[in-house]
Amino acid sequence: MLKLNFVYEESCARLHIEGLPDYSQGHNDQQLGILSLWRLELIGTTELEGKLEHLKSLMLVVMQYSRYCLSGINKSFGGETSPVSISQNNGKHQLILRSSQVNIEPMKLLLDDSELADLVRCLDSLRLDPRVKVYWQLPRNEPLSRQERSAKASKLKNFATPFLGVLSFVLIMVLGIVVPVPEESIIPTDPKEQISESS
Amino acid sequence: MSDLIEKSEFKVMDSINRDINPEFKKPSGALLDRKGLQRLDILLLIIEALDLNSGEAMIWAAEQMGLKEQLPNRVEIWKLRCYNPLRKTTRRGQPTSSDTDALIKLLCSMSERLYPLLHQLLSSNEPEDLSSERWNLLKTRLSELIEERMNPRRAGVHNLLHLDKQNIHLRQLVFTLALSSGSGGEDRLRASLLDPTFL
Repeated sequence: MLKLNFVYEESCARLHIEGLPDYSQGHNDQQLGILSLWRLELIGTTELEGKLEHLKSLMLVVMQYSRYCLSGINKSFGGETSPVSISQNNGKHQLILRSSQVNIEPMKLLLDDSELADLVRCLDSLRLDPRVKVYWQLPRNEPLSRQERSAKASKLKNFATPFLGVLSFVLIMVLGIVVPVPEESIIPTDPKEQISESS
Repeated sequence: MSDLIEKSEFKVMDSINRDINPEFKKPSGALLDRKGLQRLDILLLIIEALDLNSGEAMIWAAEQMGLKEQLPNRVEIWKLRCYNPLRKTTRRGQPTSSDTDALIKLLCSMSERLYPLLHQLLSSNEPEDLSSERWNLLKTRLSELIEERMNPRRAGVHNLLHLDKQNIHLRQLVFTLALSSGSGGEDRLRASLLDPTFL
C-alpha cells in the first residue's frame, strides 16, 4: 500500500504528515484518509510528534486563539487537562504541550507573533488541503458576541460614559434646587388710570 | 523530541469529507458595519504604506482573482473605500456584501503577497535596530497616508496619529494582516470584521 507524505512549510515552521488512503471511504491513491504520523518542526524549538488527537487538539486551540487574536482579544484556550493549551505570556504566545505519559513535565514553547502566524498558516494549509480527508472538528469562524467584545474594554471605560451622564444630570438638578428663582415683582397700579382707560 | 506519543500507535480516524464539514461553509450575505468598514480601509492603508506600488498590484490582483466586476479599476476601489466614515471624502450608505467580500479577498491576497515583509516586522529574531527602522518607516508612511486621506477632525483619526498609542495599535494591525494571509485567512478576517464592535 502506498504511503502518502505531505509537507507544509513556512519560514519558521514545517509540518510533515504521513498516512494512507482510506479505501473504505472511497478515497483514491492521492487522498490521505488515515493519518498515521505528524511531525512539527518549529525553528529554535524541539521537534514535536504526536497522535492524531494531539494534532486535532493543537489545531483546535491554535485556530480559536488566532481567531481571537484577530479581534484583539488575548484569550487562553485549552485547560489543564487538555493535551495542548495556548495563552498570552509577556507579549508572546505560550504553547503548552502535555504528554499522555505519566511523570513527564509539560513542554512549554514561547512563540512570537511571526512564529504563531507561520504555525497558523501551516495548519491552515493542512486543514484546507483537498488531498487530506480528515475531519478536524473545528468550530466555524463566527463574529464574536457583544459580551466577548466588551470583556476587552476595562470596567472603567464601560461605566465612564453612563457615570458622567448621571453625574451631570445630578449636578444640574442640584443647581436648579440651590439657585433661588427671582421673585416676581408686583407693579403697583394706579386705580384712577384703570378707571379712565375703561371709560 | 517531544514525547507526546507513542509512535507505534496507529489510529484510524473519522474521515468525513470536508464538503459536509460546517467549518468550510462561508458566512454570506452579512453586511459590515461602519467600524468594520473603517478597519478594512485602515488595513488596506497599511498595505499601501508597506508597498508603494500596491495601487497597481491591487488592480492586477483583482483581475487575477476574477473580481473585475466589483473592482474594475482604481476609482471603484476608492469609491468602496470611501464608505469608511473617517475619510475626508466619505460616502453615506452601505456597500453590498459582494463588494465587501471582494475587498476582503483583495486584502487577503495583498497580505499573502506581502507576508515575508509582515513576517520580518513581527519577528523578534530580527536585529533590533533594523526592526525599529522598519517600524519607523512604516509609521511615517502610514501617518502621511492618514493625513492625506482621513478627516483630521475625527477622534478616530486623531487616535491613529497619536504616536504613543500607535505603536501597539499598529503592531496589532500588522499581526491582523499576517493572520489574514494564507488559505484560511479570508474566513477569519471576515468573521473578525463582522464583530459587533471594534474598540
